[in-house]
Formats: sequence, structure tokens, C-alpha cells
Amino acid sequence: MKIVVAGKGGAGKTTVSGTIARALARAGNPVLALDADANPMLGVSLGVGFEKTDMLNSVRQALDAGEVEHEPTVEGMVESFGTDAPDGVRLVVASRIDNDSPGCQCCGVSPDQILRELEHEYRVVICDLEAGIGTVSRMSAGNADVVVVVANPTAKALEVARRAIEIASDVAEVVVLANRVRSDEDLKAITDVVGDRELIVIPEDPVIAAADRDGVAPIDLDPESPGVAAIIKLADRLAGAPVPA
Amino acid sequence: MRIAVVGKGGAGKSVIAGTTARLLARQGYRVLALDSDLLPGLSMSLGSGPDPVDPPLNQAAEKNENGRWRLRKGVSVVSAVKRYTTEGPDGIRLMQIGKGGKDGIQPIMGAVNAYYKLIHRLGDARTFADWAMVADLPAGPRQLAFDYAPFAREYLVVVQPGAQSALTARRVAKIVRMRGGAEVRFVANRVKDEEDVAHVERLIGEPVFWSLPADEGVAEAERLGIAPIDHVPESPTIAGIEEMVAALASLGGNSSR
Repeated sequence: MKIVVAGKGGAGKTTVSGTIARALARAGNPVLALDADANPMLGVSLGVGFEKTDMLNSVRQALDAGEVEHEPTVEGMVESFGTDAPDGVRLVVASRIDNDSPGCQCCGVSPDQILRELEHEYRVVICDLEAGIGTVSRMSAGNADVVVVVANPTAKALEVARRAIEIASDVAEVVVLANRVRSDEDLKAITDVVGDRELIVIPEDPVIAAADRDGVAPIDLDPESPGVAAIIKLADRLAGAPVPA
Repeated sequence: MRIAVVGKGGAGKSVIAGTTARLLARQGYRVLALDSDLLPGLSMSLGSGPDPVDPPLNQAAEKNENGRWRLRKGVSVVSAVKRYTTEGPDGIRLMQIGKGGKDGIQPIMGAVNAYYKLIHRLGDARTFADWAMVADLPAGPRQLAFDYAPFAREYLVVVQPGAQSALTARRVAKIVRMRGGAEVRFVANRVKDEEDVAHVERLIGEPVFWSLPADEGVAEAERLGIAPIDHVPESPTIAGIEEMVAALASLGGNSSR
């Protein structure tokens, strides 16, 4: 099972990805969390910690630094360069851009390539994408089973969501998530764009806001707060198995 | 005034860039607004209307016999600003890389190539010596690393009081400083109180240059897709950006007058 999370920057992709990963792991699934953002911070919402997330090595940089002679397979890379997150989630960062001459970012280990080649028969792979629609537009069959599009009730985020839904619908099942919904009006703004599609609503939640403020995992702060609970419920549905409370 | 606005997605880059451009134009500057984001953003905050599906800059480039992109014959940075930009409110010229769609960036490859070549000539063009330039970069460090605002002398790094936003701010500031030639100015956005500012400063590990208040009026403008300066011209955020622009000018960010 491969789940990809897409949307505008700031829409809540990383929070959703990290919380789904933790929830699925708690339910007993082997989970690989792939951070495919060149500005990686999935570690923060997984509960790895603010400073540690900033230090995590990425597959791309490890290969550049010659830390492995010839790691021939994507699985080998995951094994060598991943890190352990709470609840047994394995976290792998594809690539990070952290200097002013980064060279080609797509040669060798592009996020879509890693995503395509990852083993996913026995585990759940959840992938947090870079902001926007770039990676989604390069996706082909086999990259993902489900694309979770995270939408917010702002004009810009909805425009991005509309494009992401249109593109992703060609290659995977699309689940649209209405995040930070504060009112019926907010919800209607999103429904107008999504049309008949099923919409999963994540209410505005001070627990999620507090978690982001301090750089901790929302699921560690309060798994029963309305926003976190809604994401856990989505994880449950995506896995097709009940998640224990 | 040569400004690039960078930071995490959702931090408020486009609102700050668009409003800054409008304010400078109203102060009498000729303003070139630069939008290199493949996603919509700046034009809404600027109030310049819907993004064209076929960006004018597509006409500025062609492929040579080897299939490599080049500027079309006769296209200079001066003629490009005249012909391949659109006009926004307050007389702003808007140069855009174009927006990605269902076919990715394939349909706008001409514009992407023209944009990159032109921005590297903007800094030296004497015609624009007294213009203000305001660039809105996409979320994160990618374009920064590939030098998508070489003309910029001031990088406004927008950060809101949160860990992810602060992590991004630290990373983008590091890249700007590696390259050199420009100042990094952290702008704390959507702060509710002094403690929010202190929180941002703790997370980034250095002082902020300016802070802008959380503002329901701007949030509403964002929901509606209207330029905040048109929707809530009297709001605290717009006033804050105006003060920030004045502070930048007095610091010598005013390269032209």
C-alpha cells in the first residue's frame, strides 16, 4: 500500500502524513514514511524532534558523499539511510536542498523513482511530497495507490488542490481532505471545488496548532483531539483495518 | 529596492510580496513584480487578475537547432519587460514564469527558460536602475538554491510562529548567506503577541527584522482570493508592511534613490 500526500505549502501535508504514519504503526502495520520534500520536515510531525529532523541525512546526500559504494537497490538505501521514529515507523528522507549549488536533484534518486521502486507488498509506504503539483505531475501508475490531497479553505490552496486532484485522478485513487475547517462557509468553499467527491473533514484543532508551534507530533499531544482523531480515522480507513483507540 | 520573498509554504510570502509591490508603486516607484511560482499566489495578492494559461514569456524564447532554449532574436531584458509582462494595479509590471497544469511544465518551457535567462540580466540593466523589484519565490529552498532571484539585495525570510516554518527559514537563510551579496531579514508573520515573536526568535536562533500581526481581515481576503491591500487597506498587516518597507528603505535597502 502506497499513500502519497499532496497539496499547497502550509496546507498541512506534513502533519497529516506524520499522523497517518504513527496511527498505522500503532495499529500494527509496518510503516515506511518517505519524506519526498526537498525541504524535509516529516520528522517533526512524526515526533523525531525539531533539531534532530534538521540533522537527518538524506539518501541523495549520502550517495553524493560516497557513504555507500554502490547501493544498488532502493530497498538497500532505505535500510542504510533511514532512521527510526516512534511506534516503529521507519523514516527515510529522499533528498534535501541545503546549499547554493545543489546540482541535479533528479538524477539517481528522484522521489518519484524511489516511490515507484519501493517494496510495498508487506508494508504501508506513506509519502509526504514537496509543496505543489510537481511530483504529482510526474507520477505514473505504480507510484501510488492513494493520493491524499490536502485542501484548505483559501483561494490559493483550493486552486492548488483543484489541479492536484485533476492530475492525480489519472494514476491513483484520490482522497480529498478538507483541513482547518472552521465553519460551514469554509466547508462549502472546499465542496465547491471538489464537487461530488467524498470529502474528509479535519476540523481546526488547537492541539495540532500547538504541536506545530513546538515541533512535536500531534498524536503525542492528544490523540483524541478532534483534528488528530479525524486523521487517525482516515488512517484507519486507508489501511482498511480498524485502528485501536 | 530589490527584494525577494522566501520561506515555507503558507507563511504569507505572496501577501507580503504583493502588498510590498503595491505600496512601492503607490510611492512612485516603477515596480517589476516577479512571479516564479508554478502555483497561483502572487497575482491574487497583487490583485492583477487571473494568471494567463499561456504566459506572455512563452513568446520570448525559442529552441535552437540543437533543441536548446534561447531568447528569441531581438529579445533583450528591456524589450522583454515591455512586451512579455502584464500590467497590474498601480502600474506594476508583472513578469511570470507561468503556472503548471495537467501536463506539468511542458507547455510553459519557453517561459521558464526565458525567465531564468532574463532575471540574470536584470540586475545589470541600466534601464531598471531606479525600478523597484519584488520577487515572490515558491515555498522552500529549491529555487533559492538555483539562484532564481540574482538581482535581490534583500531577502525577506517569512516565518510564522511554528517549528516547520522556522526550520524552513533557517535553511533558506543559510543558502542566501552562502551565496552572499544580499541581506537576510527575518519577518515574523501572523504573530499574536510578544511571546510569539520571542518564540520565533528562539526557533530560528536570531532576531527578527520585523513582525507582522495576525489579521482576520487578511485571512478573509485570502479565503476570498482578493488582494489584501484592496480588501482591507486599513488592516494592521497592511500598515505593518508599510512600516516595514519604510524601515527597509532607511536601512539602505534603497539602492536607487
